[in-house]
Amino acid sequence: MTKVKYPQKRNYRQRAHSNPLSDHSFEYPLTPEVMDWTKLYPRFKPENEVKFCDIGCGYGGLLVTLSPMFPDTYMVGFEIRVKVSDYVNDRFLALRQDNEVYHNAGVIRTNAMKYLPNFFRKGQLEKMFILYPDPHFKKCKHKWRIVSEGLLAEYAYVLKVGGLVYTVSDVKEVHDWMVEHFTNFPLFERYDPSAEDKAAQVLIGSTEEGKKVLRNKGQSWTAIFRRVEDPYQVN
Amino acid sequence: MSVLHFDKHTNSFLLGVAGNLYQLCENRAKLLVKCGEVPDPGEKGEPVKKGEKAPRAEGPAYITGVATCGGCVAVISNNKVVETFDGDFQRVASTVAIKRPTSVQVTDKNVVISDKAGDAYSYNTDLTDRKYLLGHVSVVMDMVLSPDLQFLVTCDRDEKIRISHFPNCYNIHSYLLGHQEYVLKVLLLSPNLLVSVGGDQKVILWDLGTRKPLQTLNSPQDDYITVSYTEPYLLACNTRHVTVYKLTDNTLAQTSQLVTDHDIVDIATSDAHVALLTREPKLELYQFSGGVLSGKIEVEGEIDLSQCKDSALPEKKKVVRTAGFAEYFERKRKRIEEENLKEESKQAHLKG
Ligand SMILES: C[S@@+](CC[C@H](N)C(=O)[O-])C[C@H]1O[C@@H](n2cnc3c(N)ncnc32)[C@H](O)[C@@H]1O
Repeated sequence: MTKVKYPQKRNYRQRAHSNPLSDHSFEYPLTPEVMDWTKLYPRFKPENEVKFCDIGCGYGGLLVTLSPMFPDTYMVGFEIRVKVSDYVNDRFLALRQDNEVYHNAGVIRTNAMKYLPNFFRKGQLEKMFILYPDPHFKKCKHKWRIVSEGLLAEYAYVLKVGGLVYTVSDVKEVHDWMVEHFTNFPLFERYDPSAEDKAAQVLIGSTEEGKKVLRNKGQSWTAIFRRVEDPYQVN
Repeated sequence: MSVLHFDKHTNSFLLGVAGNLYQLCENRAKLLVKCGEVPDPGEKGEPVKKGEKAPRAEGPAYITGVATCGGCVAVISNNKVVETFDGDFQRVASTVAIKRPTSVQVTDKNVVISDKAGDAYSYNTDLTDRKYLLGHVSVVMDMVLSPDLQFLVTCDRDEKIRISHFPNCYNIHSYLLGHQEYVLKVLLLSPNLLVSVGGDQKVILWDLGTRKPLQTLNSPQDDYITVSYTEPYLLACNTRHVTVYKLTDNTLAQTSQLVTDHDIVDIATSDAHVALLTREPKLELYQFSGGVLSGKIEVEGEIDLSQCKDSALPEKKKVVRTAGFAEYFERKRKRIEEENLKEESKQAHLKG
């Protein structure tokens, strides 16, 4: 039997930031109904739906961890950098050859700031992950941040009521920014997960970025938010 | 962008050309008021947070949007000035918006503007108390408030039409997905029907219940510029055509077409007249009955269009193909091949 060849990160390097607001050409479905998920997951059945989305999944470490933990849940990573997403794709192809699991995880190269409603219907997702997002420190680049008042409306739209957003950052300023934006947003509230929340246990240390922080003995801050019903009342 | 507007309250057309707001009663045009003058700073300026700079007016002051509701008139100008007027066209308030405004809507309580940065804000009609409503990640090109004020529909330079609850716009009701280019204009025909104009040479009639297209008009000529509706007729404008459709049972059927001598900038309709703003000889007024534009009416009074430049129109969206993908995959294939060869020869060496 030949040994499965795993992708080597050195073949997939790309500069750290691409501008998420510029017009790249992305492939995306016109509507969620026309999306063919079987290209991503060969075992995907028409009655299946993707339920987890890792926003800016990087090299895919979180999905590799979550996939065997939630074998019946389809999960997708969105990654804007072509080489990085290509690496994750090859990584899952290799993992599937070696294991009976990993058929429920995949990656799409897309801009998560623009195309979420093209992939997911309203209230489709159960969990979203925003782990170690690019910090974009300069004030003029704040609009590149993956968490903003405008984008939270879109996250709330694709997430079902009761669904969760998990965030982690090793930059205190970014963590505070995310906490401030989510808690001020009427459709989210800060959430303290129960001990049974398996996903919450593996947030730190699963992803490549998280491992780097651990190696450097850095600190990571976690915050989880729950999608709530609109509190707005006509007066 | 809507610089030509039929105002039910005064039963007249309002027209913003360069910095001037005109009124067209019957066939007489008269200058109402000059717009776009920068308000005195500090007086009733934009409410500014601590540490933030007050927004500054920039560029020539030509009108880019006019909206009315009852006796309230709101006007936006290219230089970022937002103004409101009362039923006698006396100025109520003016302010400078944070970013260049792209469209305006007005109710008896609020003025809503969208802007180049993709955001929408609402103000009180005296233009105080600015509130953030929503944000797109590209320019909001047009918006419309539902007559019952329950929903705000916004469309953007990507392909999206977004329906948000109003005034709690953070709560997205739905998206209308179907255009494959920027969306220039949205128009509500009834509580259940919406029409959108796309840069993909399509006008789509949407069922707001199912959020699916009921019908798509494909331009036989060139890009659609705008549309206007006067029950039961939809008027769709290309560069030099006004095509009239009659709406029956959620279906549009063509009733007539008019070819214009000059490029169309904007259109507005009352139940008996159609006003057309064209590039060259100013303003054209037509009798409109039975779904046919007939009898061109001579407009009296001087309207100078020479200062109304193309710049009030959206640039065409450029689709940038990110070059080098194919190249990247080719390089990757080669590198992996080389690695495999090396590996094989190493293995062979070890065995041998
Ligand atoms: C600092 S990395 C963290 C990656 C991963 N979550 C981890 O923890 O290792 C942030 C990632 O988000 C991606 N990204 C940034 N903006 C994005 C966008 N608009 N859509 C999709 N991915 C994006 C970047 O390319 C990058 O790989």
